[in-house]
Amino acid sequence: MASPVSAYNSNTLDSQISNTVRDSLKMEFLADVSLLPGEERITDKDLIYICPFSGAVKGKVLITNYRLYFKSSDADLPVTLDVPLGAISRVEKMGGASSRGENSYGLDITCKDMRNLRFALKQEGHSRRDIFEVIFRYAFPLSYSQHLFAYLTQEKFPENGWNVYKPVEEFRRQGLPNNKWRIAFINKNYSLCDTYPTVLAVPYKSKDEDLSRVAAFRSRGRIPVLSWIHRENQAVIVRCSQPLVGMSGKRNKDDERYLDLIREANDTTKKLTIYDARPNVNAVANKATGGGYEGDEYQNAELIFLDIQNIHVMRESLKKLKDIVYPNVEESHWLSSLESTHWLEHIKLVLSGAIQVADKVSNGNSVVVHCSDGWDRTAQLTSLAMLMLDSHYRTLRGFEVLIEKEWISFGHKFSSRIGHGDKNHADQDRSPIFVQFIDCVWQMTKQFPTAFEFNEHLLLTILDHLYSCRFGTFLYNCENARDQHDVRTKTVSLWSLVNSKADLYLNPFYTPDAGQVLYPVASMRHLELWVSYYIRWNPRIRQQQSPVEQRYKELLALRDEYLKKLEQLQLSDSSSSFHLVNSSTSNTTSSTASTPSQQYTQLHTPL
Amino acid sequence: MEFSEHIKTANVEDVELRQPLQPPSRGTLCITGHHLLFSDREADTSRHLLLLLRNIDAIEKSVENLLGYPGFLSKAGHSERMTGSSGTITIKCKDLRVLQFDIPGMEQCLNIAHSIETLSCLDNVSEMYPFFYRPTELRLQYHWGLLAPEQHYNQTKELHKRWRLSSVNQDYSVCSSYPPAVIVPKSISDETLKKAAKFRQGGRFPVLCYYHRKNGMVIMRSSQPLVGANRKRCKEDELLLQAVIDGSDKGYIIDTRSSQQVQQARMTGGGFESKSCYSGWKRLHKQMERGKALQESLIKLVEACGDESQNMDRWLSKLENSKWLSHVQTALSTAGLLAECVERDGHSALVHGYEGTDCSLLISTLAQLIMDPSCRTLEGFLSLLEREWIQAGHPFQQRCAHSAYSHTRLQQESPVFLLLLDCVWQLWRQFPLALGFSEALLLRLATEVYASDYGTFLCNSDQERCALGVKDATHCLFQALLKPTEREVYLNPLYELNQLAIWPSVHPQSLQLWRGFFLRWTQQARHLEEVQQEIRNMVNEWVRVTQSDATTIQ
Repeated sequence: MASPVSAYNSNTLDSQISNTVRDSLKMEFLADVSLLPGEERITDKDLIYICPFSGAVKGKVLITNYRLYFKSSDADLPVTLDVPLGAISRVEKMGGASSRGENSYGLDITCKDMRNLRFALKQEGHSRRDIFEVIFRYAFPLSYSQHLFAYLTQEKFPENGWNVYKPVEEFRRQGLPNNKWRIAFINKNYSLCDTYPTVLAVPYKSKDEDLSRVAAFRSRGRIPVLSWIHRENQAVIVRCSQPLVGMSGKRNKDDERYLDLIREANDTTKKLTIYDARPNVNAVANKATGGGYEGDEYQNAELIFLDIQNIHVMRESLKKLKDIVYPNVEESHWLSSLESTHWLEHIKLVLSGAIQVADKVSNGNSVVVHCSDGWDRTAQLTSLAMLMLDSHYRTLRGFEVLIEKEWISFGHKFSSRIGHGDKNHADQDRSPIFVQFIDCVWQMTKQFPTAFEFNEHLLLTILDHLYSCRFGTFLYNCENARDQHDVRTKTVSLWSLVNSKADLYLNPFYTPDAGQVLYPVASMRHLELWVSYYIRWNPRIRQQQSPVEQRYKELLALRDEYLKKLEQLQLSDSSSSFHLVNSSTSNTTSSTASTPSQQYTQLHTPL
Repeated sequence: MEFSEHIKTANVEDVELRQPLQPPSRGTLCITGHHLLFSDREADTSRHLLLLLRNIDAIEKSVENLLGYPGFLSKAGHSERMTGSSGTITIKCKDLRVLQFDIPGMEQCLNIAHSIETLSCLDNVSEMYPFFYRPTELRLQYHWGLLAPEQHYNQTKELHKRWRLSSVNQDYSVCSSYPPAVIVPKSISDETLKKAAKFRQGGRFPVLCYYHRKNGMVIMRSSQPLVGANRKRCKEDELLLQAVIDGSDKGYIIDTRSSQQVQQARMTGGGFESKSCYSGWKRLHKQMERGKALQESLIKLVEACGDESQNMDRWLSKLENSKWLSHVQTALSTAGLLAECVERDGHSALVHGYEGTDCSLLISTLAQLIMDPSCRTLEGFLSLLEREWIQAGHPFQQRCAHSAYSHTRLQQESPVFLLLLDCVWQLWRQFPLALGFSEALLLRLATEVYASDYGTFLCNSDQERCALGVKDATHCLFQALLKPTEREVYLNPLYELNQLAIWPSVHPQSLQLWRGFFLRWTQQARHLEEVQQEIRNMVNEWVRVTQSDATTIQ
């Protein structure tokens, strides 16, 4: 095959030496792409990448069963692309054999991660047909009854991420079961609710038959179950789906009684607060399709609507955001353009909803959270409220547990929302609900820079692998489906990757605090666009990442050394305290001499 | 003392104070010649508020006569001063704080308000507080300031070959807003300078403000040439600029006005360096907002930030409409252009607009921060400010007389220095490791520039400072900030020397509202300040222990 690259070489009058250099570069091209174990090369092709920032770039693309890799052939214009095929949402042919204009014939690839890729090929002999078919087939394996890459990978990690979350252990950490709450295994065959996990925490006084009757009155059987309990005041966060009230305003005594049991399980809850995440009008409209909300018949309960919009609104909002940031940022009226996407406003509503939930619970009031099906907005609200209330979830491991628990095990429909391996890019079920959640977490880490053990890199990694299909973590809609497809035995968990190199994801400034509730400010004035995620493909944005990370690593090393020294000091403290006195002489801030014991507490405060 | 005639009521008891981030408190309000003092009645808390009257930008009063409510009166019989009326004073500060005092007794209230109104706006410099500020731990220094122009010249040995220190302005007769000593090309005589000065507005002839060690190129600054409608020329001025680029093929003139504006300037006696007269120089125009437009932008921004209404839907639009961030963007990109001329293109440059006392200083300061690592340390930055703003004659007295809340008619006010601090903050945010000082320093400067215990930001020029004895009778802020006890707070614990130029991204998505300043009196900003303090302590502690231990281990 005569590639444009070799034609280039033969034209030049370069000396023998530089020719060999070029040849070796060409050889290296195929060699220097480090593939994952289990990753296989499918094809490669010379083509032109229409880079929105540097223009048309000649190079070669390599397609494996996992990724699309592009490298420019011109060493002076180093452009590489490394895109997991899972991130591709749509592949289209652009232009036709007769299209005029330079680079008008080729492929147009839309990605799920806020970018588009365009490649141009020569307009001859159906040059794009093969590559188009290969990308299509390997990006959308499920549409061809093929396996996702997560099932093909041979990656091995020292840590097994599938062990991170064990429901019973997590309940035990929360102090459950106790005399008010029991662990129920009624759903062990997914017979009560096929989108719920097998292990549920329910009021101690409720019987399994009650649960079945309640399930009949809740959308898709998603009955109210405990997500989190406050250790001191025993107030709980309970999640569920909407009640099946319908147009006729049906009632269900069992459901009413069941919610009252939830209220009674906490002594200080006079009125159970039900947070309906939806706008009031949407909740009313749901009655037409058999759903609805809890009415006055629920005595001892109050209902509050949180005005969060549905998945379609969120999808459109993020789409608008993409329009103003990719490929070029809408600069002339940046802030008002940003405002018109309403993305930050949605973030604000989700956060302020979660704040209300957290506040109620920390004041000793049990709450129930639901939306329509209880797997999108509900997951956002419960998990964010738990992040505010429970510092354990702000550690690296704890955050993994939080995602495993509130999102994965409770059936956030990752498969439908993301469309893993599915070619139907226009599917109305797709929506960036989980991205929005991670954005809210990022906003919190911005407002509380020392409260989270993990760093921004973790959040970016999670979002990258939300799409990549390299790990089993985010595959399928619910535990039931995951069991059927042997996800835990046949795929690797994302947390295996993370926990095997945990220091990459740690925040050096993390200061563990004992059970403090974090209330972020959910005012527009204090929210920021997450530029380093949404605009990260723009080369002008990334400039500062690496030195900061490098410095962070140094700081982490410094901190570790500090901790080690501290340990030594503590050991030697009992035997001899001269050590400490000596080390405090260089102290420039404190003017008064400190006794060893004072020094000790001083050393302790920052961490 | 003369202040006493403005103080009819010096003390009021039983005043309620409401201020951001703190619960209301009751206590005694006291007015002195320079301060407002509030001390909490509760002995155990002993909270004080000491506010420079100079910090007060606006005062609003509302009095309420309660004589119509006899029932209320009888209940309040315990206090004879409570003559059935009360008033509320709202004080809006130049540091953007808003305080409210509920004062019993209408008369007291009006008296207090009157005293504040008068005393906060005194414009006699020598009556201002810095002349009375005598803390026990500070002694008036023989040397006021960090680095006199002479010292700066002597320390920069590389300059000596082609540049000299001229004392042509030693009695301020050539240029009233320049310091007595300036750096000029060696080949240019004082006589030539005098003639060139006559051709520049306010006598601000081109002087050197920065020498780029990497390539020997320089930044000059001046005011506009007085070309006028009939296209006057000045051979000496042309000679002076020619001497700057001697041996090089060209230089750049960054004019902070649009090409249309410079044409109009000719009609009022000003103008620009034409291609034909200054053949070696290439003009680049970058229009920057200044003066009133800048002040109005600040007012709009502060108004949006203080908008208490629940409906925040339009926040981003309001932020955009204030145009403050676009001024930040223009300033940074113009400075970037200047730095590009010198660092990347390898040519010398001259900056000016009209007077050369505002935007020119802003741009030259930022360009130096971008290019020169020695300006990015705490000492380096403060010296830079001293050189480029204090010595170079930014009219602080006029520009910072009032801030965003003032009701008085604006005169020469313009928040150029605040804009500089905001731009530096943007740099700091984009290069968190490259600047040796902290956000706390920028916040401190933003407060001090409007109201200060120190004399540093008094007056409009070096000449005025000397005439009024500022250098003899006040303390210098910069010196105070560098004292061992203070400096720790103002250092960036993450700082790492970076020899490279730091090119800021000026795209709107890279620029942020400086929340630490504009939303300073909110819980969130306070929290982030505390966190920064915490991080500083943490890093210092790590470094201290890991290092000191290495020495004690032997």
